[in-house]
Amino acid sequence: MVSQLDSRIEIVTPENIAFEYRLAGPFRRLPAYLIDFALRAGVLYAAGVVLPAGFGLIGAERLGIGMVLVCWFLLSWFYGGFFETYWNGQTPGKRVMKLRVLTADGQPITGLQAVLRNVLRAVDSLPLVPIPGDELFRPVLPLYILGLLAAAMSDRFQRLGDLVCGTIVIVELPQRLHGLAQVTDEGAIELARSLPADISIDRALARALAAYVERRRVFAVSRRSEIARALGEPLCARYSLPPDTSHDLLLMALYYRAFISDRVVREDAASMGIPAPARAAALPGGSSA
Amino acid sequence: MKVADFLASRQEAWRKLVTLCQQLERVKKRKLKPEMVSDFAARYRAACADLALADAYQLPPGAVQYLHQLVGRAHNQLYRTRKLGLAAGCRILLHETPARLVRDRVLWLAMAIFWGVWILSMGLAYYSSQFAHTVLGEAGIEQLQESFAERIDGRDADGSGMMVGFYIMHNTGIGLQCFAFGTLLGIGGLFATVFNAAFLGASFGFMLTVPERDNFFHFVTAHGPFELTAIVLSAAAGMRLGFSQIDTGGLGRLASLRRAGKRTMPTMIVAIVLFALAGLIEGFLSPSAAPYWVKAAVAIASALLLVFYLFGLGLRGSSPDAI
Repeated sequence: MVSQLDSRIEIVTPENIAFEYRLAGPFRRLPAYLIDFALRAGVLYAAGVVLPAGFGLIGAERLGIGMVLVCWFLLSWFYGGFFETYWNGQTPGKRVMKLRVLTADGQPITGLQAVLRNVLRAVDSLPLVPIPGDELFRPVLPLYILGLLAAAMSDRFQRLGDLVCGTIVIVELPQRLHGLAQVTDEGAIELARSLPADISIDRALARALAAYVERRRVFAVSRRSEIARALGEPLCARYSLPPDTSHDLLLMALYYRAFISDRVVREDAASMGIPAPARAAALPGGSSA
Repeated sequence: MKVADFLASRQEAWRKLVTLCQQLERVKKRKLKPEMVSDFAARYRAACADLALADAYQLPPGAVQYLHQLVGRAHNQLYRTRKLGLAAGCRILLHETPARLVRDRVLWLAMAIFWGVWILSMGLAYYSSQFAHTVLGEAGIEQLQESFAERIDGRDADGSGMMVGFYIMHNTGIGLQCFAFGTLLGIGGLFATVFNAAFLGASFGFMLTVPERDNFFHFVTAHGPFELTAIVLSAAAGMRLGFSQIDTGGLGRLASLRRAGKRTMPTMIVAIVLFALAGLIEGFLSPSAAPYWVKAAVAIASALLLVFYLFGLGLRGSSPDAI
């Protein structure tokens, strides 16, 4: 199987199996960043209101202001590092966007990596553009051009902080298991029965069939026949079917044979002396937990 | 077995694993029941086995993708972030870091640049007021003289609290920036070192020549050692990051940078602690009415503490680069 070139990364686990992650690009990480930013700003604003007022009650309002400044410092440098350490590679924004930070070989990150990659955000966020503010509060707009450049040049979307720490950001989309497509069309089932018993559907063909049949619902009829023709024509020739066979129907019939039911084959194969479940028996049938 | 049958037989097990993952993502890890953990591990391994054989089962792409995601999600619950324990943290901060620092030529280079430029700039500013005016700027000089026009006779505790917050935020922020900008070939750290040394040296040289001299030294003595060392440490850590891309020690440039990042982060933690201590002293002791000898004693004690940290702790252990 040809693996995809980019935006996927293969991890080999201690259980010695390989699975794939989707890497998170800038367009998924920006919303997470904005959510985190809004959260930080909100907390800082709340602290700015509550702390001076609270300490003001005991006549130490300026001590409260000092504490707000310390909060500001901690939030701007260690917010990400703190959450990524204690929330297993996620900040609140990353959790909402289903992102997670991992080391480049798929292991969980250490506390040091979490802190370092967030401290180095200072470089990634360059250049900073000052926004007009007052004398005490001088806001800047981070453009993240350096980070964007580094991510664009890295094959794993790593910004500078990620490069130094050897970390990656991956997407953890919870997916639904859709199962197989329902083949209810009588014509397709009929065609499936009439196909030769000894058709062998190899893995590449099975994959192509699944890709088509599981998605054909969203196409219009004419689009279906256009897409199905590429695979349908050579298959028609291979099984010497009449040329007016509907390619869409043929692919559905083959899908039915490949994934749903072999029963037609079994009856015929048994008569030809081939033990039908041989192939199935060779595979361990679903190790139960 | 056909794919349809296979999916039907495994679907329930996968769903259970998803539910377990959801529970693990919510619950605190210490409160987990052992049965739940072992059930989770068993189901995770079963899903791994299913994924490993997905190709042999000829599962459709949708199901394979689902399995990839399921195994990944469970993997991240099973293998988690390692938090730094107290013992490991102490070993890194009190043993490895000083041992690495005292043998770090970049740190001594940064020290040499910092103090060299400092002394040069101080001498020039002492003998030529034109130099001081050029480096500090008219506004800077006015501000200096204005700040120290009055005798240091103590601020109220309330105001000191605010200034501690300000010093910690401002100075530590600069230190961390120095470090981070080091990633760009170390120029950030080098620039910050030279700039700070020239500016501070000129301030000292200039203040020696004006009547506000006593007030000035009354203020800066106590927190000086911690703050200046913290600045040099941050700059040196940044330069380490930058130079690691040039002198790679046989590694690839990225790998060398990664190694330097891992090694310099504890240095930055030390620097942050020093900045915080300096902030506390600068906020509470430096502007207080305490006699000068108290402030000088604090300065000497903190300098001795630093010497003990670097040499006392650092030379005791073996070189940590073998670790």
